[in-house]
Amino acid sequence: MSGTGRRHGRSWPGLILLAGALLCGPASASPPARVMSLNVCTDQLAMTLAAPGQLVSVSFLAREPGLSMLHEEAKNYGANRGLAEEVFLQKPDLVVTGTYSLHNTTALLRRLSFAVEEFSFVQTLDTIPDEVRRMGALLGQEDKARAIADGFAKELADIERRQCDRRPTAVAYEQNGVALGSETLADSVITAAGFDNLAADLGVVGMSPFPVEQIVARRPDVIITRDPAGAPTLGAEIPRHPAISALPDTRVGAFVPEGSWSCGAPAVMEAVRALVRLREEIAPCPEPGAPR
Amino acid sequence: MRPLALNGALGVLALSLFVLSLLVGPADLRLGESVSGLLAGGSEAAGIIMREIRLPRALLGLAIGFSLGLAGAVLQGFLRNPLAEPGIIGVSATAALGAVAIFYSGLAGTSLYTLPAGALAGAFAAVLILLAIASRQGSTLTLILAGVALSSLSGALTSLVLNLSPNPFAAYEIIFWLLGSLKDRSMEHVALAVPLMALGWLLIALSGRAIDALSLGEDAAQSLGIHMGRTRFLIVAGVALSVGAATAVAGTIGFIGLVVPHLLRPLTDRLPSSLLLPAGLGGAALLLAADSAARLILPAGELNVGVLTALIGAPFFLWLVMRARREML
Repeated sequence: MSGTGRRHGRSWPGLILLAGALLCGPASASPPARVMSLNVCTDQLAMTLAAPGQLVSVSFLAREPGLSMLHEEAKNYGANRGLAEEVFLQKPDLVVTGTYSLHNTTALLRRLSFAVEEFSFVQTLDTIPDEVRRMGALLGQEDKARAIADGFAKELADIERRQCDRRPTAVAYEQNGVALGSETLADSVITAAGFDNLAADLGVVGMSPFPVEQIVARRPDVIITRDPAGAPTLGAEIPRHPAISALPDTRVGAFVPEGSWSCGAPAVMEAVRALVRLREEIAPCPEPGAPR
Repeated sequence: MRPLALNGALGVLALSLFVLSLLVGPADLRLGESVSGLLAGGSEAAGIIMREIRLPRALLGLAIGFSLGLAGAVLQGFLRNPLAEPGIIGVSATAALGAVAIFYSGLAGTSLYTLPAGALAGAFAAVLILLAIASRQGSTLTLILAGVALSSLSGALTSLVLNLSPNPFAAYEIIFWLLGSLKDRSMEHVALAVPLMALGWLLIALSGRAIDALSLGEDAAQSLGIHMGRTRFLIVAGVALSVGAATAVAGTIGFIGLVVPHLLRPLTDRLPSSLLLPAGLGGAALLLAADSAARLILPAGELNVGVLTALIGAPFFLWLVMRARREML
């Protein structure tokens, strides 16, 4: 949901912001004592990096297992609904939020002279280390952030090195028959794990409706669905359409851990690892060091 | 036009549009592939697409269109009201509310069987409320206005229930329930809805003689030996079953029951009972055509079919209202 589907280019604006944050941001002063996060994706980064007591509240979505990998941990923080009034009452030293849907709130908070940092979520695997370092700089946790970012980048590079020419096809098929095409976090995860993303190959950009007929006609090796969460919806039935179950050689299931690829945060690596295991099971690469 | 010729022509039209519906879809299947996919078994992609995706969709288009056309014809005859139609008088919207209230609350589990159960309850309630209003106040306008109120209320409550669902995806389904769609239905939906609809058709057919007699007025009908209670039961149950089951699997599809009986009435002998079968067949043809068009206009995203039926039906409704007003003056 929030985050996975937006269409953005590569992260030049992000890098410029990062440079700005490093040159003149709060990192040079003493770190902010009280921080609020209004977006489920900044929640993930802030919970990972903040010092004890530094983060006063996260968004209410951070407690949703389907959207937030750190949903258990989120219960240790207050929950906000991203309203300017809540921020005003809490009077935090810093507000971190995403550029997704809270433009009005952000503008209002700036008018009330709160320090607001927006994260423009490009949301591919490549941008995560920079986002982690930027959040670390904002929270005065540079060392911890650098360690996490470097570890993430190294593991990703190792995984991408283990790819080979055998690339099974996969498609991430969500509620209501929506597929995740190129320029999404899911696409970068699928590709890094050594699959070809069927939706991206067919020209789907971002999140887009994808007919069941097309899935059946193209017979992907793997269809990654989401386990239906809580209350029932009709849309949850679409990825379980009998036509899809009738495909004899296609594996259908929730192969990535719940909530692991909703946000560009270090926990996305869980999704990459899960898909790498699946790829090694259905289409093992010849031997380590084989040509890519 | 002779009844046999009229029904034959409409039957051929509905059947051709049924075949057209089977041939339209985002996967590029050649004609030969489609036919062999439909008839041969096996797990070839073409076969799965034809048997599991397009066939249920075409069958539902046929059956739901038939239900809506038939329900429109019988309601217009029984209520002696040219503007009566399951969509306009709120039966469809209340059926949708019933389905939504039971399914999304999750109280009855996530089984699809809760959908027709809720929809039938909603449709029954709506028909009973409308009959109560119609029996007190004979005016054409009162019934329609009451139906409009019922429709708006049910639509608003449907949106409310979906917005209150703890599942954030549920709110996206408001558009399905308010504007209807046959997208990605499966044989499960056919098995769920078609038997109930067929039972409804049977009950409506049994009321045929009674609505003919009723066109002479209630007292005249009773003197002809028509049992009003029995007739009322047949029509209430018949409309609730067919429209309720249709709405349970396809959401609210409006105006078919309005447009089709009006178009076909001049071609019949104007006895209400001889309009029933033609209206059903015509409704099937119209819905199949609209559903094929919905797939052709926006191949990937797909238009909701209720948008198309409203684009045809709403101007028609307006014209009927203007004409009815002239006649009243």
